[in-house]
Amino acid sequence: MASLSLKHIEKVYENGYHAVSDFNLEIEDKEFIIFVGPSGCGKSTTLRMIAGLEDISSGEFLIDGVKMNDVEPKDRDIAMVFQSYALYPHMTVRDNMGFALKLRKVPQEEINKKVDEAAKILNLEKFLDRKPKALSGGQRQRVAMGRAIVRNPKVFLMDEPLSNLDAKLRVQMRTEISKLHEKLGTTIIYVTHDQTEAMTLGTRIVVMKDGIVQQINTPDHLYNKPCNLFVAGFIGSPQMNFMDAVVEVKGSDAFLHIGENTLKVPDDKKSVLIDGGYDGKTVVLGIRPENIKDDPDFLAANADSQIKSTIGVKEQLGAEVFLYFDVNGAQTIARVEPDTPLKTGSDATFALDMKKIHLFDKDTELNLLYQE
Amino acid sequence: MTKNEQAAKARKRKHAIMITLLIIVFILFILPFILVLINVFKDQADITANPLALIGEHGFTTKNFPEAMRKMDFLNVFKNSLIITTCATILTILVSAMASFVIVRNGKWKACAILFALMIASMVIPFQVLMVPLVSVYGGVFGILNHRWLLILLHTGFSVSMATFMFHGAIHSNIPLELEEAALIDGCSRWQTFWKIVFPLLKPTIATVAIIDAMAFWNDYLLPSLVLTDKELYTIPIATQAFYGTYSTDIGLVMAALLLAMLPILILYLFLQKYIVAGVTSGAVKG
Repeated sequence: MASLSLKHIEKVYENGYHAVSDFNLEIEDKEFIIFVGPSGCGKSTTLRMIAGLEDISSGEFLIDGVKMNDVEPKDRDIAMVFQSYALYPHMTVRDNMGFALKLRKVPQEEINKKVDEAAKILNLEKFLDRKPKALSGGQRQRVAMGRAIVRNPKVFLMDEPLSNLDAKLRVQMRTEISKLHEKLGTTIIYVTHDQTEAMTLGTRIVVMKDGIVQQINTPDHLYNKPCNLFVAGFIGSPQMNFMDAVVEVKGSDAFLHIGENTLKVPDDKKSVLIDGGYDGKTVVLGIRPENIKDDPDFLAANADSQIKSTIGVKEQLGAEVFLYFDVNGAQTIARVEPDTPLKTGSDATFALDMKKIHLFDKDTELNLLYQE
Repeated sequence: MTKNEQAAKARKRKHAIMITLLIIVFILFILPFILVLINVFKDQADITANPLALIGEHGFTTKNFPEAMRKMDFLNVFKNSLIITTCATILTILVSAMASFVIVRNGKWKACAILFALMIASMVIPFQVLMVPLVSVYGGVFGILNHRWLLILLHTGFSVSMATFMFHGAIHSNIPLELEEAALIDGCSRWQTFWKIVFPLLKPTIATVAIIDAMAFWNDYLLPSLVLTDKELYTIPIATQAFYGTYSTDIGLVMAALLLAMLPILILYLFLQKYIVAGVTSGAVKG
């Protein structure tokens, strides 16, 4: 069990490529931290620096207050689960799981006991004498987890551990990992590019882009208060809708013009536009699909926040319906109730839940309503 | 006859010609070995009377073997060949596997790239070009000819380039870096990572290098004949040649000596042959 501290961590490769810039993070004991971002954003590099597999170009990395920059991976008391599982093909499952303990000269009896315990937790008892090639993807993944568990390390590092599994197994293993975190209470750092994994597993999420941390906060906070366009677009599925809107200030009110549609900005949000001098300028309006509604009661109550369009595609998913339509050139999705009468090709009027809108500066891409 | 039938007939004809050619080549290769096998169990008179008969008039005999073994001092030359082949093969495998691991995993070091390029280049230099300076340097200047260890080191030196090349391909293509990283995190040093993780996974390539080099060392005549002139240190090929020179008239004895010379390496080949194809093609196709 441990707390970690990353202070001004940088990674610059020999060719001058800046993989990670000024990474700062304090991780409390028993936290489940997710590094998320698109490919090449530096999330895996940061994890590898924590593991000791990559040198830290500058900055300080501490575990329980002890500087780890130059400590060998084996002496950091961490365990890592790799994307490819990295199981030793020539060893049985038992040997794979007990390998780290054997290297530490733990008595064989104790190794067996710990391996048996981990195998019981992970339902691997039947497979202990098999070699990795005789296991399915999910079983291999569990062996990789088991190898980490038997060590009882201070920190678990997981580098996209579910990305090689099929969709069904991924959901199942996601739950298993979550349960495991509850059970073991170990600090976990988990890298993924899948925002669903990030949202469901993490106690806090670190969103990265081009080696720079965009925002660090709880899943709920990131979803509801993204600090910029990137985070807003990355977190959530389907992603947030974005539309260019021209601001008009009339007296003490502010309006957004999106093509022929005019939306009245609620009182609690208009001051940033008025005080920020956005009158006549274009901002980006962001709204999540579930906040675009088509039910008559909501439409009647929100006459000043309506948009009109024609339904391009209707996706019936059973519990909900996705409607795809165009708003002033921007492809927009609404997540509505399954009993919606709207069909592909029909003209539609939607009302936006203006309490849930986000406003982004067109140039800086920062959220005008929430800053960290 | 339709076009398809004509094509099928042509394919069959081509196949038949190919099989016939293969059979002819096979017979050409196997015939000397069969001649050795059938004549080694006959006495001199039966061999002279009919070398192609399976069993001679005087019946089946094994008396050629003890005689040949005694006259060519077989146990001693076998011991020499065994020591030299085993030591040189093990040394080649260890040195080249370690060298290729360092070269592959430090690809950014210029020294590694240069070293590897030099090793590959050295493979095209024929041994015959080197043999005269070799003997004059080691024999004339250092005066260290007639030592088994010198031959072991020379064999290793000449074979290490090819072996490194093979291990290089195997490590590069078949050993994921993540395995080594997992081992480092589990608590291995670089040295332990190599011996506990990488080396065991190189088994098919080790078997291939072992059989190719062991056969080359066991059967080599030229290098041992230059280095070892002391009769006590003779290897099987030199002893067989010397034996043939002395007893060329007693063909039964010669056959026995030849069979004794080839038998050990043949047995080794039978044991390791399943690894050869796997080792040679390792890395050719992504697994």
